[in-house]
Amino acid sequence: MACRLPTNSFLSASSFVHVSPSSHSLPIASSPTKTLSTASFYRRRPNITRAVLQWNRKPQLAGETPRVVVITSGKGGVGKTTTTANIGLSLARLGFSVVAIDADVGLRNLDLLLGLENRVNYTAVEVINGDCRLDQALVRDKRWPSFELLCISKPRSKLPLSFGSKAITWLVDALRSRTAGHPDFVLIDCPAGIDAGFITAIAPADEAVLVTTPDITALRDADRVTGLLECDGIRDIKMIVNRVRTDLIRGEDMMSVLDVQEMLGLPLLGVIPEDAEVIKSTNRGFPLVLNKPPALAGLAFEQAAWRLVEQDSMTAVMVEEEPKKRGFFSFFGG
Amino acid sequence: MSYIFNALSLFPTQSLSNGNGGREFKVGNVANLEVLWFSKCRLRWSFRKACGFRVKSADNSIDSTGREQVEGGVRVDFSTKALESDKMAGSLHWRINDPPSFVVLVKRNAGSKYAVGFYIALTIVLIVAKQILSKRKIQTRHGSVAELVKRGQLRSNRRGISKLDLKYEDPFNNPQVKIEKNNSKIEMCGKVYRLAPVTLTQEQQLTHLQRRSRAYQWKRPTIFLKEGDLVPPNVDPDTVRWIPANHPFATTATELDENLAQNNVFQKDGVPFRVRAEHEALQKKLEALQSAQNEIGINQNNIHEWERSAERSSKLNEQVEPSASLEKQNDEFSSTGNKNLPDKLDKL
Ligand SMILES: Nc1ncnc2c1ncn2[C@@H]1O[C@H](COP(=O)(O)OP(=O)(O)O)[C@@H](O)[C@H]1O
Ligand SMILES: [Mg+2]
Repeated sequence: MACRLPTNSFLSASSFVHVSPSSHSLPIASSPTKTLSTASFYRRRPNITRAVLQWNRKPQLAGETPRVVVITSGKGGVGKTTTTANIGLSLARLGFSVVAIDADVGLRNLDLLLGLENRVNYTAVEVINGDCRLDQALVRDKRWPSFELLCISKPRSKLPLSFGSKAITWLVDALRSRTAGHPDFVLIDCPAGIDAGFITAIAPADEAVLVTTPDITALRDADRVTGLLECDGIRDIKMIVNRVRTDLIRGEDMMSVLDVQEMLGLPLLGVIPEDAEVIKSTNRGFPLVLNKPPALAGLAFEQAAWRLVEQDSMTAVMVEEEPKKRGFFSFFGG
Repeated sequence: MSYIFNALSLFPTQSLSNGNGGREFKVGNVANLEVLWFSKCRLRWSFRKACGFRVKSADNSIDSTGREQVEGGVRVDFSTKALESDKMAGSLHWRINDPPSFVVLVKRNAGSKYAVGFYIALTIVLIVAKQILSKRKIQTRHGSVAELVKRGQLRSNRRGISKLDLKYEDPFNNPQVKIEKNNSKIEMCGKVYRLAPVTLTQEQQLTHLQRRSRAYQWKRPTIFLKEGDLVPPNVDPDTVRWIPANHPFATTATELDENLAQNNVFQKDGVPFRVRAEHEALQKKLEALQSAQNEIGINQNNIHEWERSAERSSKLNEQVEPSASLEKQNDEFSSTGNKNLPDKLDKL
């Protein structure tokens, strides 16, 4: 079962072990594979860690489809929406069909990040009211037609209170059974906080991606949210550490990714560097992962998407930055 | 070799330093490549630091294929394809036939005839060498398996010949990322990173899980109620989430029946529920009007008109409405017919 394939890594080396396809795997159930991975890791020395970019094969989809993944954080502004947009489009680029649900009711902005804001006419609220069908409310991205966006509500119309989180569960179930075939991934962009919006967003999810930044405030919220997710039975939780600055970590001015992991005890799905291109791509409404050549953060998102597909996690991170050796031929680096 | 470097660095410093410091100096592509290839850092340094000139590739068309670009600098990759070689040869001819700026610059350079001599000799040598090289490359390419791939007879990605021909768009072809052979280091955007192993063990993960399960005890509420509302009789108060009255969720109360809402979500085809309901209401109104008119007995023409308009609106509702809304969202259908839709239906 534990087939060791060449590993993918950008900000990491990651050796992956295929976990049996059960989306609601208990930690105990998944433990044999995990321990195997760590054990074999210690057998190899860190410097033999494989870190080959995997781009000459398609990632293998693990788990039952549709994989319903909620992207959450607790704290606001740490990059949930950015992550949803970029991982979503990466998945689409890798050949999977994706529906991204913007469950941020009050502060909808996934459509902006994707540059689809002018095409959202119908939202889930209209679907529930019977003004349109679900397929009419899905906005298809023209760049990657396998990517569709569903907004929960327009800024002024509100999700009906009385159904609680049932409404979003219906929506996901309807996607599961739709005639056009169910999507491979349903990504839910969760609003900040842990109130009604959060409760709604996590309701249909089987797995979660926890986005955090390496600072103590975000981490405390992240821990709390993880606790709530675990209470809700979502046990497949992986984290993405966003806005990492290796220069600050080297100067011990910022917690390293491994520090973050020590505090939360969650497997790593990805490490995203702080990158000015993120903001530029937000402005353009053109997700980073579509950049050519890809930006640093875009590559990191792409790798995270890759791991998400294979239910893999990172086994090594980039923690140190060394001044580049200046040889006779290395005059370009500056 | 170092005197060549000196000669080369003489060229920009002496001949061009008078007066046009900020100008961008564009060199023909091949010449640029060759000069960089042979002169290494010294030339680059002198271009940049001494006189503020920038060497820039005049023709970017080769960028995307064969060679790697490193922070604005250019490195020649000799595994370029035949096509590129042709291009290079083409620009070489241009280089020979039309070197006006070059000649002018050389003429203006009164200071060092030796330097000029060296430079001219070197250029000729470079051109010849380049042509020989590119010819050799073309010859080796003739009849190779690569041509079968080019002709569509072979699938290159199966044979592992060309890594550039991937089935899906290659997401990781980033010239800014380089990985050392033993994978211990990664270079990205000019910086070198070392890899450190993740040490999280399964036991640690479990400890955290237990810690959290002690710290946070929570049951996801399934029902939202506005603060101050009464708990409905069949609802477990533990599953209620109380929403403050000023919360966006709390401002919406629906008269919509739950089953109906669910059916709406699961509706796969046909006219959406509300649209149909409204249409039926309209239809009834029209019929009522029609019968009223019949009773009064106005002339036949009028009645025909009513009938036609009723028919038209019903047809439009049944056929156009679904696609019309699809079109708005997905821009997939050309806009036909929906312009005739009654305004009311549009505003639903
Ligand atoms: N890796 C990054 N580097 C630089 N800026 C980032 C990065 N990730 C997110 N940002 C910026 O942070 C802001 C908040 O991101 P967003 O995804 O909207 O957060 P959230 O959805 O969690 O509230 C955005 O302006 C975004 O451009
Ligand atoms: Mg957001």
